[in-house]
Amino acid sequence: MDATLLLQQILNGLAIGSVFALFALGYTLVFSILRVINFSHAAVFTLGAYFTYALTGGAFGFNGLLANAQLPFGLPFPVALVLGNILAGLTAMGIERLAFKPLRARGADPLLALVSSLGVAVVIVNLIQYLVGAELYTFPAETYGALPPAVNFGTAEHPVQVRTTQLIMFVVSLVVLIALTLFINRTKIGTALRAVAEDETTARLLGIDTDKLILLTFFLSGFLGGIAGTLVGASVSISGPYFGIAFGLKGLAVIILGGLGSIPGAVVGGLAIGLAESFVPGQYVAYKEAVAFAFLFIALLIRPQGLLGRAVIRKV
Amino acid sequence: MADFLSTYGSLIVSMILAAMLGLSLYLPLMSGQLSLAGAGFYALGGYIAAILSTKVFTTYSGDLYPVSYVLIEMIVAGIAAGALAVIVGILALRLRGVYLALATIAFVEILRVLSLNIDITGGAIGIFGVPQPFGTPIEYLWIALPMLLLSMLFVYRLERVRTGRALIAIREDELAAESIGINPTYHKVLAFMLSAILAGCVGALSAHVLNTWNARQGTFDAAIGHLAFVLVGGSRTFAGPVVGGLALTLLPEALRQLAGINGLPPWLAQFLREGRLILYGLLIVLGAINFPQGLITPAMFKHHRAAKDPTT
Repeated sequence: MDATLLLQQILNGLAIGSVFALFALGYTLVFSILRVINFSHAAVFTLGAYFTYALTGGAFGFNGLLANAQLPFGLPFPVALVLGNILAGLTAMGIERLAFKPLRARGADPLLALVSSLGVAVVIVNLIQYLVGAELYTFPAETYGALPPAVNFGTAEHPVQVRTTQLIMFVVSLVVLIALTLFINRTKIGTALRAVAEDETTARLLGIDTDKLILLTFFLSGFLGGIAGTLVGASVSISGPYFGIAFGLKGLAVIILGGLGSIPGAVVGGLAIGLAESFVPGQYVAYKEAVAFAFLFIALLIRPQGLLGRAVIRKV
Repeated sequence: MADFLSTYGSLIVSMILAAMLGLSLYLPLMSGQLSLAGAGFYALGGYIAAILSTKVFTTYSGDLYPVSYVLIEMIVAGIAAGALAVIVGILALRLRGVYLALATIAFVEILRVLSLNIDITGGAIGIFGVPQPFGTPIEYLWIALPMLLLSMLFVYRLERVRTGRALIAIREDELAAESIGINPTYHKVLAFMLSAILAGCVGALSAHVLNTWNARQGTFDAAIGHLAFVLVGGSRTFAGPVVGGLALTLLPEALRQLAGINGLPPWLAQFLREGRLILYGLLIVLGAINFPQGLITPAMFKHHRAAKDPTT
């Protein structure tokens, strides 16, 4: 393999891997606080992409209740990205109130939260289908304004072309990841979040309003998931209401690989799976989907707590 | 009656198949192990039946495919699924809780991608024209119903013999169970294997019922569907998964029938027809919240005994 191809594959892998990381962080945040996996996260990923698409002034197809609907205005992509995913974050807060809080209040088995969040995912996916049909939506070509479609990182003789959408994926993910890390490590609210993740009861005794922090966690999780969805949607297309489900599974592989509840783990896991997928040789490309899971299966057998996870000591 | 049976034949048969898939997931759960691998064994069983019936057992007299061949396929599928389960189980059952659930999802996904890419399973299109042993769908009950009753009886008995009690002891407290001489690994792998055998047999039968088999049968969605059967029905007694499987398979169809009632406002009828899966999802959420034990709980069978219990 020559050096330029290698470089290109590394860049591709980092771009998709950073989106995996962003998406997986949404699972990680909720898991670190509630110790449950939020299965509606993949549906929020889809929803974020649809919200942003609508806010950029994109028109919907002729199926569904909102046939041919289109907002009377079109926002520039960066504004729509933030606003649309604030909406996704608010939806995630609604999901917390509807599907998680009632179970928590009863002290129910954490597995039930898995089922109820799954029910929410079924509702969202089918609601999207009911409202705007199952068509594929593509962001308009002028989404990124006057930017060229690809950037050459090599020389004229040895071009290393990287699509602009992938660069944007990588840069946006990186900015969001850094902002999140700073928020969690450097602010008072971030410290409170870590305290709740460590021990909810003690945090509450110390006067931390855990209920509000749980809502905040869901907001962040929905926001991150929605941004990941939008970036993938803008890079390829929104392939319909089930857009996020396949991605959702891969996100699970990422968090397990990195260690459940570990934020650096989610980032490392995301990049590792992104890179591993981009190095699948062309003739085996059909097996690409299995790479993440094969990785996961083997990793679990060797290191059950994940790459960067803490081993949990079982108390008697 | 004949009308009813011919209209709803396939629905009734799929309800019964779903009940067995619920039971299959319940078996490892008896020992506290949440495994979603059942969907993979189900898919494997279906492929075995589809391949055997379209490529191997192609010569038979008469129009209908012999029932005995279906039974042979089911046995082959059960043995293959059980053997694979022992291998996967020994590797994977060291994991616990969410880790085990996700490792088994990884197993299901790997099988799915494999079946999409190898020749013998027909790739993305799958295998068409699986021969029919019966003239009408409802006649599948001749196989499905005895199979359900047998597997229910089996699990009912299992809950009351030494092996089953060992499984329940592991669920309640693995360390305590180990300290009184129960071998957790042996029992977990055993439950995992039984679950795989049942799922494989159901898959083999389903390939005939559905007439076709492809990679969409053994997916993460299917696995989660089976989990919903158990958790909505109730995970503490064998009757729960059976009721859950029957009810959740009936539900979308029942909602569609509701749409046909005369005098409904048109928007409501349209919603029931096209948006019924929205209601299905909503009912799963409400079910999980309002019936955290599931619809069927062991306490339901114990009312007469509770009165005599001296400790209360």
